[in-house]
Amino acid sequence: MAEAWYQSADLYRHRRRWFWPVVIIALLAAALGSLAAGAVDVPLRDVVSVLTSKIGIGNAPVQPESVVWGIRMPRLLLGFTVGATLGLVGAMLQGLLRNDLADPHLLGIGPGAAIGAALGTVAGGVRGAIAGGVLAGVLTSFALRRFARRASIDPTRVILSGVALGAVLSAWVGFVVFGADRATVPPIEFWLLGSLAGATWRILGTSFFFLLVTVGGLLTATRTLDLFALGESEARHLGVDTRLVTTMILIGVGAAAGATVGAVGVVSFVGLLVPFLVRPLVGYSHRHLLPAAMLVGGLFVVLGDLVARIALEPVEIPVGLVTAAVGGPVFLWLLSRRRDA
Amino acid sequence: MPDQAFIATGLRYTAGGSALIKEVDLSGAPGEVIAVLGPNGAGKSTLLRLLAGDLRPDSGSIRIGDLTIDDATPVELAKVRSVMRQGGNTDIPFTALAVVEMGRYPHRNDPDASLEKDRAAIQVAMERTDTIHLAGRVFATLSGGEQTRVVMARIMAQESPVVFLDEPTTALDVAHQERVLREIRRLAADGRCVVAVFHDLNAASFYADRIVLMANGEVRAEGTPTRVLHPDLLGSVYRQPMVVQTHPTRGCPLVLTVDEDGGLSPPRSPQM
Repeated sequence: MAEAWYQSADLYRHRRRWFWPVVIIALLAAALGSLAAGAVDVPLRDVVSVLTSKIGIGNAPVQPESVVWGIRMPRLLLGFTVGATLGLVGAMLQGLLRNDLADPHLLGIGPGAAIGAALGTVAGGVRGAIAGGVLAGVLTSFALRRFARRASIDPTRVILSGVALGAVLSAWVGFVVFGADRATVPPIEFWLLGSLAGATWRILGTSFFFLLVTVGGLLTATRTLDLFALGESEARHLGVDTRLVTTMILIGVGAAAGATVGAVGVVSFVGLLVPFLVRPLVGYSHRHLLPAAMLVGGLFVVLGDLVARIALEPVEIPVGLVTAAVGGPVFLWLLSRRRDA
Repeated sequence: MPDQAFIATGLRYTAGGSALIKEVDLSGAPGEVIAVLGPNGAGKSTLLRLLAGDLRPDSGSIRIGDLTIDDATPVELAKVRSVMRQGGNTDIPFTALAVVEMGRYPHRNDPDASLEKDRAAIQVAMERTDTIHLAGRVFATLSGGEQTRVVMARIMAQESPVVFLDEPTTALDVAHQERVLREIRRLAADGRCVVAVFHDLNAASFYADRIVLMANGEVRAEGTPTRVLHPDLLGSVYRQPMVVQTHPTRGCPLVLTVDEDGGLSPPRSPQM
């Protein structure tokens, strides 16, 4: 049958069959865990009764409700949203640049957005931070485009340029933060290491708005992005306006990554690590890769935040330290495997 | 309905101060295979890249079907011409089937687009190029010859009336070379116009309707293989003495290189 050989050429179909249920179950377990665990341990029974009370079943005890719904729930959702966004933009950048080492924060978009976000805080608090992050993220993305144009010739050059750009911009985050009023602008470790400690429903709402728009836009490019694997000229021969698509994706990536920085600072290595983990399980086609990277990215940051909260209890460590501790070694390993590095 | 599949007039292209293409006119009819020949640096690939729309000529104009190349969107262009580039990426992580499937991309928003239509085109393309058994293999793991055939299948799936091929047979063994050349003839038999750059003069001799012989960015000779494959002309263009005989079974010109001094001092003693 014609259908049979067609189907059998999809190498990842068996793996995908169990991938999705496993990830969704893991995600639910991680969600319940992070609602229950922390400085005050809430029994799972109380967590469940808080959740059911929200859909109109029963009444929740007051003290667990304020912890579970008032503090931990927005933190959980923000962690998931940030992780999903970073996983998505990481996978998209890697597809666009044909380079597994691409990551928005490694390429300097994170620190660049942090400058804008810190300045935005002075102007307009939390919303200003997110808007500033979006704007500065897009600008940094365009700075990167200069290097990205040579990506097909020398990918390592793009990465090295991005790392240098990131170092310079990180220094400038310091100048902005130390020059600003400490009462209004969060400290430098928030911007460069990332933290979900300040998560509120308000931050969640604002960043969610930006992310919905940019992520929605980015997800329309799935099939087009596959063609970049053939090379930029081949993609153009097949009808892709490669300049336009590259520009649009870089705007989207800069805006989305910038919004996460405005909300929680730079949570590094998520965009690098997650696509790397997910590809062997769902394949290279962006139709499967992008949603998978979103779910696993969300899961990764939720778990990372859980570790950040309970590892050195009662001290809370920045979530970016946890993601970097896991992601850094993977980056080094990937780098050592490259033939051209 | 134009009777020419494509028409290029007055093409000039200069890069880095040197004129790579000087005043070239070329057109092709549906059903025709045009071989572009010439020594290294003659401008063959540059000409193909101009025709494909990759490079913008300094002057001159190119029409493919009803489209003027400058005014066409990438998708419009992809529906009327397909391109096999020389030395494309080999480390593609997608399967052969996925790569061939990408050939259908320009048709995704056609009014009559359907999954069945795409699959039929893909299947025909892969059967003809003998790549069905490679469908589930990752492109990067295929041999050079297999990769060329998969790319050929991708181009066939694109179903464009004009096809540009830059050295499509270079990486192939003799059997697969003949196979790809027969497929090129079949594309022409389906009414497409194929323009291909070759190094193998005899492949062009047997399979092309018309040969365009280039040197120094200009067309030195153009016409049927019998007319263009002339020893004096080839000798001066390639700076290599040649003789032309008649192929014993195919009847077309058979080009052979000979020694500078007429064979008086062979590089290797003839084996007895």
